[in-house]
Amino acid sequence: MLMGLDEKFFEKFGIEYAPNEIIFCEFEPGNEFYFIQSGRIRLVKLIQNREKNLTVLTEGDIFGEMAILEEQPRSATAIAMDHVKLLKFHRDNFDALISGNPQLAYKLLVIFSKRIYDAKRRLMILLLEEPQLKVMDVLVMLAEQDPHLDMQNEVSLQVTAQDVARWAGITEDDAQKELTHLSRLDKIELFGDRIVVKKIREFQRLVSSRRKSMYQ
Amino acid sequence: MPNGASSGPSGIITRSYKPGSIIYFEGDKSDYIFILKSGKIVLTSIKLDTGEEVKEEVRQGEFFGVKSSLGKYPREETAQTVGNTTVLVLMPADFERLVLKNSSVVRKMLRVFSNQLRRIVKMERLVLGESEIVNPDAELFKIGEYYYKAGIWQHAQHVYKRYMEYYPDGVHAAMAMKRIRAIDSGEAMPDDDEAGAQRADHDATGAEGDTDDNTSGADMLDFDDSVMIDESSSDQGGGRTALSDEMDDFFSDEPSVGTGGGGLEVRSADGSVFELDSSAEDSMSRGNFITALELYKKILTTDMNLNQEEKKIIGKAHFNAGRCLMELKKPAEALDFFSKILRNFPSSPYLKNAIFNIGIIFESANQKEKAITYYNKVLNMPPKDKLNSDALTKIKNLQGK
Repeated sequence: MLMGLDEKFFEKFGIEYAPNEIIFCEFEPGNEFYFIQSGRIRLVKLIQNREKNLTVLTEGDIFGEMAILEEQPRSATAIAMDHVKLLKFHRDNFDALISGNPQLAYKLLVIFSKRIYDAKRRLMILLLEEPQLKVMDVLVMLAEQDPHLDMQNEVSLQVTAQDVARWAGITEDDAQKELTHLSRLDKIELFGDRIVVKKIREFQRLVSSRRKSMYQ
Repeated sequence: MPNGASSGPSGIITRSYKPGSIIYFEGDKSDYIFILKSGKIVLTSIKLDTGEEVKEEVRQGEFFGVKSSLGKYPREETAQTVGNTTVLVLMPADFERLVLKNSSVVRKMLRVFSNQLRRIVKMERLVLGESEIVNPDAELFKIGEYYYKAGIWQHAQHVYKRYMEYYPDGVHAAMAMKRIRAIDSGEAMPDDDEAGAQRADHDATGAEGDTDDNTSGADMLDFDDSVMIDESSSDQGGGRTALSDEMDDFFSDEPSVGTGGGGLEVRSADGSVFELDSSAEDSMSRGNFITALELYKKILTTDMNLNQEEKKIIGKAHFNAGRCLMELKKPAEALDFFSKILRNFPSSPYLKNAIFNIGIIFESANQKEKAITYYNKVLNMPPKDKLNSDALTKIKNLQGK
């Protein structure tokens, strides 16, 4: 929790939302970021005209933090799931805010560390040339992200062709084509809601050797 | 851990290295954060876009290894000493305590991290060719339209109001106002004429590339379930019975349900079919087939006007309800759902899979001939994918028996 947050602080920055109320909407300009004091919010995004849940955030989490960095439209919609109490901070107050709240600054440091890695990892996928490799690397990335997976064994990933397409920056049709191909080679097994990779290490080695040769 | 540092969960320790020692390699996983006390350290990393090697010197008193420790991911660089070197080794908890006492350090780091993140995100957009969102106002309006057409008035209302706030003179302002009034007066209809006109607008400008489902699938199949029964009913007589009736004989003693469980946690804040669908999908992926089935049934009893999206969902709901029932060992009921797809949604993307599952049901009921008939159908259906080869395997196995 944030240290030194008393009533006064909440009076100044506090804001409450009723269940199911939109906090901000995808594509609207974003100048504030939020700290959740209590309650849950969900982040959703319209993908191919369907509302897709990205994540659920709870007490102590921060969201909308990209607004600190740049003036870009929101990349997702935030919706209150229950009665939610938030602290809302404007980008312009950022410096003053973190000077007075090192705990908040530390939290942001952790978030940004993760974001930087995720963004870099995604970029590594996007920079690969062949769609086949991109798809493989998406699966490798997802396997890496789950600390419970045993990479020596067959891994099961909760992912659809649509998700793979989004990560790889290719069309859903192309993703489906590559996945089908891999499944025909018996490298993976396709299910409606998940993909089983027989030997993820093999993908990992292949992608990394291709990546190295890309620059030579 | 490298170098056998003996540190508990907390407690800063000092380590000394000879010249040329590696403190950590790129790809290592470790929690440790370091501060350079004396000597010299060079960090070597590979630039993402060009593959160039980048060397960066750590200055005395500076932290390194922070990002990968806090973000809990592998090291992105290799840290090597140049001369005799001493470092302080911290666990994340030590680091947190240390920097909280010194907010200027956090601020400085935050600035560095922010800049890095900004650069990477920019690069990502560049690679994706989406450096700018061309029309944020049109995109925002589209979100409103999505909720409007899904009948989620509260959200639609909210989005339109935001739209009016930001773009009072925007291209879609008049329509947004109209929508707000319609919702206020309770006259809003998900598929009223306006919505139709709006869609037509979109089509005219080429903003949406909707194609008609019915045309794509029509020539793919030339049978419906009754035809299929006729073909394969030589051993059954009377080809007009519904598939499920036919199956009743084989599954008259259904085992009682013992799978899934976990009670009904049907949560649907606004009850939109899309939301129901995603909750159902969720339950299914967690193996909670009873809840999932409940949700899919709810979707199928919801009043809809069947636009493209909803048609897809209905096909999917039938299919997944069938799958849930198979998991719950109720094949006769499952068959009912699958056969509805053949009858009513022949252009559904779930058609092939439904037919395959019918094959499975017949197979497990020892109806070999019929199972083969259905697998055969799958075998010839485009696109050729895993199901086709699975069907072939099934047929071979059945014929081998």
